Amino acid sequence: RTPPVTLAAIVGCPELHPLISTHFLSAQPPINTLALPDLSKIYLFERKPKDSNAEVPPPPPTVVGGVLKKDWLLKHRTKVPAVLGAVFRAEHVFGDPAQWLNVCLGLFVCRAVIRGRNIKLAVVIIHTGADEITEDRMIALRKRADVDAKYVIMLNPNDNSDLNQSLDRMANAFYGLATMYYREEGRRIKQRIEKKNVSSVELIVRYCFKVAVYAEFRSDWPEALKFYEEGYHTLREIVGVTTRLPAIQRLVEIKYVSEQLNFKICTLLLHSGKVTESVAWFRQHKNAYKRLVGTPEAIFLHWDWMSRQYLVFGELLETSSKTAQIFPPITLGSASKPLSEWEFHPAYYYQLAAHYLGQKRSSLELVISTTETSSDTDSVDSVVPSTYVGQFARILELGDNVDMMALTDEEYMRYAVSEGRRFRDSLEIIALLRKAYESFNSSNIQRMAALCGFQMGKEYFSEGDSSNAKQIFDSIASLYRKEGWITLLWDVLGFLRECSRKSSNVKDFVEYSLEMAALPISSDANLQRDTGPAGPASRIQRETVHKEVFDLVMEDSVSETNEQLNNLKINGDKPLQLQVDLVSPLRLAMIALVAFHEQTMKPGSLTSISVSLLSHLPCTVEIDQLEIQFNQPSCNFFVSNAQKPQSVGVTDTQQHRVETSTSLLLEPNKWLRLTYDITSDQSGKLECQSVIAKIGPHFRICCRAESPASLDSLPIWTLDDCMQSVPIKDSVLVLSGQKIIQVEEPEPQVDVRLGAFGPALVGEIFLVPVTVISKGHNVYSGELKINLVDVRGGGLFSPRENEPHALDSHHVQLLGISGPEGEDDSHLDSDKIKQVQQSFGLISVPFLKNGDSWSCKLEIKWHRPKPIMLYVSLGYTPTNNESNPQMVHVHKNLQIEGQNAIELNHHFLMPFRRDPLILSKNKQASESNISQSLPLNQKTLLIVSAKNCTELPIRLKSISIEADNDVERTCSNQHGNEELSNPALVAPGREFKKVFSVSSDKNISKLVLGTVCLTWRRDLGVEEQSASTTGTLPWVVTKQKLPDMNVELPPLIVNLECPPYAILGDPFTYYIRILNQTPLLQEIKYTLADAQSFVLSGYHNDTVYVLPKSELILSYKLVPLASGLQQLPRFSMTSVRYSAAYQPSSSSNSVFVFPSKPHFKNEASTNFRLESVANE
Amino acid sequence: MIVCVAVVGHQNNPLYIQSFTEADDALKLHHIVHCSLDVVDERVNNPKKSGPLLNETFLGLLYPIENFKVYGYLTNTKVKFILVTTDLDVKDADVRNFFRRFHAAYVDAVSNPFHVPGKKITSRTFAERVSTIVKSFGLTSAV
Repeated sequence: RTPPVTLAAIVGCPELHPLISTHFLSAQPPINTLALPDLSKIYLFERKPKDSNAEVPPPPPTVVGGVLKKDWLLKHRTKVPAVLGAVFRAEHVFGDPAQWLNVCLGLFVCRAVIRGRNIKLAVVIIHTGADEITEDRMIALRKRADVDAKYVIMLNPNDNSDLNQSLDRMANAFYGLATMYYREEGRRIKQRIEKKNVSSVELIVRYCFKVAVYAEFRSDWPEALKFYEEGYHTLREIVGVTTRLPAIQRLVEIKYVSEQLNFKICTLLLHSGKVTESVAWFRQHKNAYKRLVGTPEAIFLHWDWMSRQYLVFGELLETSSKTAQIFPPITLGSASKPLSEWEFHPAYYYQLAAHYLGQKRSSLELVISTTETSSDTDSVDSVVPSTYVGQFARILELGDNVDMMALTDEEYMRYAVSEGRRFRDSLEIIALLRKAYESFNSSNIQRMAALCGFQMGKEYFSEGDSSNAKQIFDSIASLYRKEGWITLLWDVLGFLRECSRKSSNVKDFVEYSLEMAALPISSDANLQRDTGPAGPASRIQRETVHKEVFDLVMEDSVSETNEQLNNLKINGDKPLQLQVDLVSPLRLAMIALVAFHEQTMKPGSLTSISVSLLSHLPCTVEIDQLEIQFNQPSCNFFVSNAQKPQSVGVTDTQQHRVETSTSLLLEPNKWLRLTYDITSDQSGKLECQSVIAKIGPHFRICCRAESPASLDSLPIWTLDDCMQSVPIKDSVLVLSGQKIIQVEEPEPQVDVRLGAFGPALVGEIFLVPVTVISKGHNVYSGELKINLVDVRGGGLFSPRENEPHALDSHHVQLLGISGPEGEDDSHLDSDKIKQVQQSFGLISVPFLKNGDSWSCKLEIKWHRPKPIMLYVSLGYTPTNNESNPQMVHVHKNLQIEGQNAIELNHHFLMPFRRDPLILSKNKQASESNISQSLPLNQKTLLIVSAKNCTELPIRLKSISIEADNDVERTCSNQHGNEELSNPALVAPGREFKKVFSVSSDKNISKLVLGTVCLTWRRDLGVEEQSASTTGTLPWVVTKQKLPDMNVELPPLIVNLECPPYAILGDPFTYYIRILNQTPLLQEIKYTLADAQSFVLSGYHNDTVYVLPKSELILSYKLVPLASGLQQLPRFSMTSVRYSAAYQPSSSSNSVFVFPSKPHFKNEASTNFRLESVANE
Repeated sequence: MIVCVAVVGHQNNPLYIQSFTEADDALKLHHIVHCSLDVVDERVNNPKKSGPLLNETFLGLLYPIENFKVYGYLTNTKVKFILVTTDLDVKDADVRNFFRRFHAAYVDAVSNPFHVPGKKITSRTFAERVSTIVKSFGLTSAV
């Protein structure tokens, strides 16, 4: 099958032959070598004098024996070389005359031998380097050999590098000679074709073939292709023209030859990568010969031949696609006859090969059955293929002579039939189909593969190989099931059923039979004829199958009457139980829906359960007994058929309840609905698991229970147009019925109380007392679970995303659980579970007798004001029964508000009527946020006020300012951090103020003031006094950082001075001091506005200069004209240098005018110390 | 001659399949129709290969088997129509025309308010109409 390879021969020097031939084989292009040890063997190449085909000048047409000689190609591939290489040793060539004569003689012999065949000659001289090379000898040698100088090759086996080169040279020379030889031969034969004087068409075909082969020898593929095609077309012309052979054999020969040519053409096309052309060619070939059927009795030969065509082409395509990975191009074939992509799948050809082989088999069987060829095998024995391709002849042995005698058609047919008998076509067909099946499957073409599988299964089945057949049928049945191809499925199941019958597999037999009987086939028409063992798919057939299988399972004793079933037995030893689960195809045969009428039930109470059964079997089935199984075995119960009381199994029904139903008839396509009461004592999930139907003594179908709500439609029946009835009458249950019911816990008889009062305050540890009081149940292995949940939901316990600066990861934290009073924690920890996490706690409750109580306290701390929901759930078992722990749960919840207890505020005050000019203030005036600045070296008052924003009174222990540890102290504050001597009570809504004075003497831009620390606790009112020794709540420290301040040196400070009060009509002096703190002269423009209530003396407007580091005092005399709180004349000034205007605030710019001189009591002011400090 | 027509749903389940042969090879035709679904799948899943057929309902010749040719048609709702014919020389236009009429008949059949989508088509009118279309196949172009 490989393309032919150039053949060369070498003679002489046998020790070098392996070296040369291996090198030639690996050369590019390779050359096959015939190695002859010496000249005596050279006569093999000599042309025989008597050669009937080519030598004898044009024989009469009848003499042409056939189209192609079978061994012609073989001869050229293995026997007739294109080149003869005569190898001589150098010492012989250039040695003494005797040796030289020997060489000449050898050459002469060679030339004589090869002349008849035009074989080319080349001379190889083995030159070991020892001898002299004389030029005249070389010339003489060339002359003797009649070769060109380049075909005399020197070879030096001792020199490695040189040897390789010269071997290459030798291969090239040989190849060139061979090409020349093949070209000449080809041209010689081509001339014969062109001369047109060829007597018969057969010879043209033969010549074309030869030319093509010669072209192949020299790798001239296009030429080879051209002549193969020409030969092929010429051959087509022969059909119907030639009468050389008897009709059948003639056709056989033509087909054989065309096969050969077609094979060559396809191979060449595929090798050159022209897949599409090759496929198109093959199609044309197949179409051309498809109708050449021949005589009817020999038709099997035609099918055989067709099958072989497909097989061979499929194999060619497969190998080429494996090596080349060529994908079919987009434009397939010509426009008029497009190729489909399937013609590029080898599997397609295998499938068709199998198909034709099947046809061959059937027609062969027909021939065998009609022709009664009894015992003339001896005449067949001596028939062998003759010398021509596609011809057969009988060998006649006459003594030593062997002669070929042509056959008559009759004899040939006998031979062919007997040959055909020898082969087991089924195996061949199965092999072909398996190839196709696997190939289709590997390219994921399921349905084609299924068809191949089906055919393969049929072959196996007819061969009697049940297990293989079953395996294949099973795999393809699932595809048909999935896609709902009922008729195909029916057929496959029919085969499967027979397979299981043959292998005596009762279970499979029953399963397949039930599935078949339940298939939705309603047509009564008896259409198909070529059906499998199942018979035609019809309703009647379904009923037949149904009856057969139920006869089998219902019979008590094995029937001897039924011949078919006598190897299938069901009895007490081998009871049969079929499992029907959610994916089983037997759901068609029986499906069980179970629905509880309630979703939950109390333990011990009754509820209803509906069991619905549906069968698509064609006949009514009577069920002897139903068993309904639950996950709680105590709930299992039986339903027995009232009409068959004797058949109820009495083995284990004593423990279980048995219901009786009037009839358990399962009619086709109608729901059998049963409703029963059910109760359960065990809390938890009660789930119906399966419904087992007993039919007959030894047959049970176990259906997995399904919920109506989750009922997926039966895949096949829903596609059919049939009436769907509802499984349960209650339409709500149809949609929502579940096979699971939740059995509730018994009513808890234990109380859990949460005794929290009021809102919780941020920062304090809030105690929630929990009390467990038993009111009827003993509490065993109790467990208290505590959960904190954000009321608003979400975001409570993972605030990091929202507030990256949160100090704690939890806004509300469960700190701990303190046990009941008198019981210390260490004891609790040792043997009881106690787990506390941030928002979750678990604590075990000790055993409590009925009436006892137990309590603990939850410690919860709020970091942010936030309402939370506290969930407390107690789980316990009322009885100390280890085996059956029935947990009872009590749930309580409580919403607790978290509030900020205290709001801290602060502000700064400058000394009274003393205003520094702070430049940064002016600069930032335009901007919105003004960060406060403090003047340098000036005492500033800081007032911290703590406001109680709860509804509870709060005790305040101290307010202090603490410096941050890590920051250098930058300011001094006085009026200390001492504790209040007696904790102050702050009523709801009231404020507590404390005054600090701050001064900074360092010229730095930022002043870190520190943190306000507030120590407080919730005031318990009267209880506080009573429990003052031990039970007071711990103090809570609230801290708030004060903002950093800017400090700067004010260039100017304005001080307004006037007496604390004035008296009507009494003049007083109003001083305005302007202090220049800079080393520069300051120009000040000032204005003093008139005031209604005062008469004043002095400049209203002026421009003054204040000397560096000195103070300017402006003094005015004022006479009050009205009494009461009066506004002083308004002073305003502008610093020219800083272009900053200054206006003192109006609030500090007033004085109280008494109508007459007042009289003060001296001790009055001491009561309100705090206020007076502020006022000063 | 048309030997078989079929309507196949989008789960590749047969909705309507009718053969028009005297020979009782319905099973074989069922197999052929079923196999042709592979080709439809291939065409639909690899639209590149079919190139110009993109966005066209008519799928053309699906595959040739010994004596039959199979043509396909894909509606917008992914319902497939399959046509099996024994004529070896069929004009594409005829087939297109056939499918167009067949599609119309199908649309009428499934527009019936009593028809449940996805179920088999059992309408007798549809069957009659289909057989008329089948009988007239190839005649229209000849006239």
